[in-house]
Amino acid sequence: MECVFGLVGNGFAIVVADTSAVHSILVHKSNEDKIMLLDSHKLIAASGEPGDRVQFTEYIQKNVALYHFRNGIPLTTAAAANFTRGELATALRKNPYTVNILLAGYDKETGPSLYYIDYVATLHKLEKGAFGYGSYFSLSMMDRHYHSGMSVEEAIDLVDKCIMEIRSRLVVAPPNFVIKIVDKDGAREYAWRESVKDTPVPSA
Amino acid sequence: MTKKHANWSPYDNNGGSCVAIAGADYCVIAADTRMSTGYNILTRDYSKISQLADKAVMASSGFQADVKALQKALSAKHLIYQHQHNKQMSCPAMAQLLSNTLYYKRFFPYYAFNVLGGLDNEGKGCVFTYDAVGSYERVGYSAQGSGSTLIIPFLDNQLKSPSPLLLPAKDAVTPLSETEAIDLVKTVFASATERDIYTGDKVEIVILNASGMRREYMELRKD
Amino acid sequence: MKLDTTGLESLPTLIAPQNDVVGDLSAAPSFDLPNSNDFDGFVKEAIQMVKPAKGTTTLAFIFKEGVMVAADSRASMGGYISSQSVKKIIEINPYMLGTMAGGAADCQFWHRNLGIKCRLHELANKRRISVTGASKLLANILYSYRGMGLSVGTMIAGWDETGPGLYYVDSEGGRLKGTRFSVGSGSPYAYGVLDNGYRYDLSVEEAAELARRAIYHATFRDGASGGVASVYYVGPNGWKKLSGDDVGELHYHYYPVTPSTVEQEMVEATGA
Repeated sequence: MECVFGLVGNGFAIVVADTSAVHSILVHKSNEDKIMLLDSHKLIAASGEPGDRVQFTEYIQKNVALYHFRNGIPLTTAAAANFTRGELATALRKNPYTVNILLAGYDKETGPSLYYIDYVATLHKLEKGAFGYGSYFSLSMMDRHYHSGMSVEEAIDLVDKCIMEIRSRLVVAPPNFVIKIVDKDGAREYAWRESVKDTPVPSA
Repeated sequence: MTKKHANWSPYDNNGGSCVAIAGADYCVIAADTRMSTGYNILTRDYSKISQLADKAVMASSGFQADVKALQKALSAKHLIYQHQHNKQMSCPAMAQLLSNTLYYKRFFPYYAFNVLGGLDNEGKGCVFTYDAVGSYERVGYSAQGSGSTLIIPFLDNQLKSPSPLLLPAKDAVTPLSETEAIDLVKTVFASATERDIYTGDKVEIVILNASGMRREYMELRKD
Repeated sequence: MKLDTTGLESLPTLIAPQNDVVGDLSAAPSFDLPNSNDFDGFVKEAIQMVKPAKGTTTLAFIFKEGVMVAADSRASMGGYISSQSVKKIIEINPYMLGTMAGGAADCQFWHRNLGIKCRLHELANKRRISVTGASKLLANILYSYRGMGLSVGTMIAGWDETGPGLYYVDSEGGRLKGTRFSVGSGSPYAYGVLDNGYRYDLSVEEAAELARRAIYHATFRDGASGGVASVYYVGPNGWKKLSGDDVGELHYHYYPVTPSTVEQEMVEATGA
């Protein structure tokens, strides 16, 4: 089942998501990237109904890009988070999107930040957050081991602790995870943690 | 507004069976003429067959009010087609029109189970069979309606031709002559009438071939 | 004559009220909706009344030479087999195939609709649509109808400028890019055979045999799947149907009847 979590370190933020696409008892895919690059310095990790997840995050991504085009300056992470919350809140009373979001970003002025937005449009600025069944394990793990000003090595170590706990204690644990990071140099993929590999296909 | 009664439905089932058989150069379309609701027989002489074009004939069972609405919609569309193209619609074209017409009522379906029979552009017999929301398939023979579960196994036994999906393909033409096909249809309806309370009274048979269209009737049990 | 250009629009404007029996015949066709205060309940009940055909095994996978697509051909309503000759692999255009699982009419209609949109794209842009684009076109349409009771589970397989492409699209709006999918009630059985026998460097013949085998084993275990196992191959020059085998005959091809040794000869009882 879905596991999304993230944390803020010293000068960076990390988000982690499982990569399983599940349909009842079937795993259709185990390398589905659920963390989208919102722009050069923002990451958006989403969980929820597959249709809503893709449609909503793409919609946000395109609108953030549109804002940048029109005004010549990108949205700050806080502004993007509030925009996302607003769109979710508007949709909530019409045709709700069932998506939970962790939005991580890096701004020159404010440094790294992490925002938690759930499907009923609750917005929180956090140091660490999680969604899904994995949250039961990763939240307590992060509560115990997290401290402010963590280095990348410490943070990745904590992330791996969380993944190990989920894999060993959660019945319906997803096999694979993707880890992405955002810091002053931008948002990018950091690593994959795979215990099941889909047959690799040489890209065309 | 729809009535707010707890169990009011805009649908009824008037029963009846429809059969169509395609041959090498003919097509037989048949339906009984009984119309019922529950245990009541409303009429013993109601035609379920409508000619949509020169070479396309539809037989429909289900809810006859919806069937009538469907027939009207199709004949109106066919009239416009004739004005625009100055020709009759071919049977395969009518088949897709029927499919689309049914699907545009996907969220408020016509409660109509149809078979469309006719001759294609090469003069070969063709039969198209539908579900109520427009999925369709070209087949060698088909039955729809209340007696279809009795009729189809019988036709399978008598006519079963190799599946059109087979590759290498096998010849799938119905091996009957026109008169044999008509006799088979009569037998099939006589049998269905014995076991289906919604089938009976009379069977109307429409035969399409190179020389045009012809109708036949045969009396069935009336109990 | 007024041209129907609705196919050019990215989102369908197909829903419009219809007040008389025939509706406005000169306008583009649109969906007729019931005036019910419980739309979901009505549609669910109405669709139950017309008994849609269900039960399927379909699969598709990408390998070295292209994409292999296979399906069974059975449609059943509850325990009754309503057809043994359903064409579950839909030919969208010479380079693209769609598979059918879920509502037969929903799949057939929207694939036909997709075929029109792909052709219009071709005419407007002087090049064929990519598999990515086509699958997204379909996913966006289905997403716009979400919650209205459509039932579609399809794979879009084809060959475009980037090589072979395969997407899974469903009526919940899901769209997954992948290399190996199976959809339908028999899919767990098909996956078992498929995952076990899959390699990227399969030859066309080996891949076709794997697809056929997977469908055969799914029809053997899943009562709602059966009929004919059709296998299609999509390569650089478009799709080609490779085989269609009656799974009833396929069984005896895979497992020929061998005269079993009689353990004990029956002897006629004597006496009395």
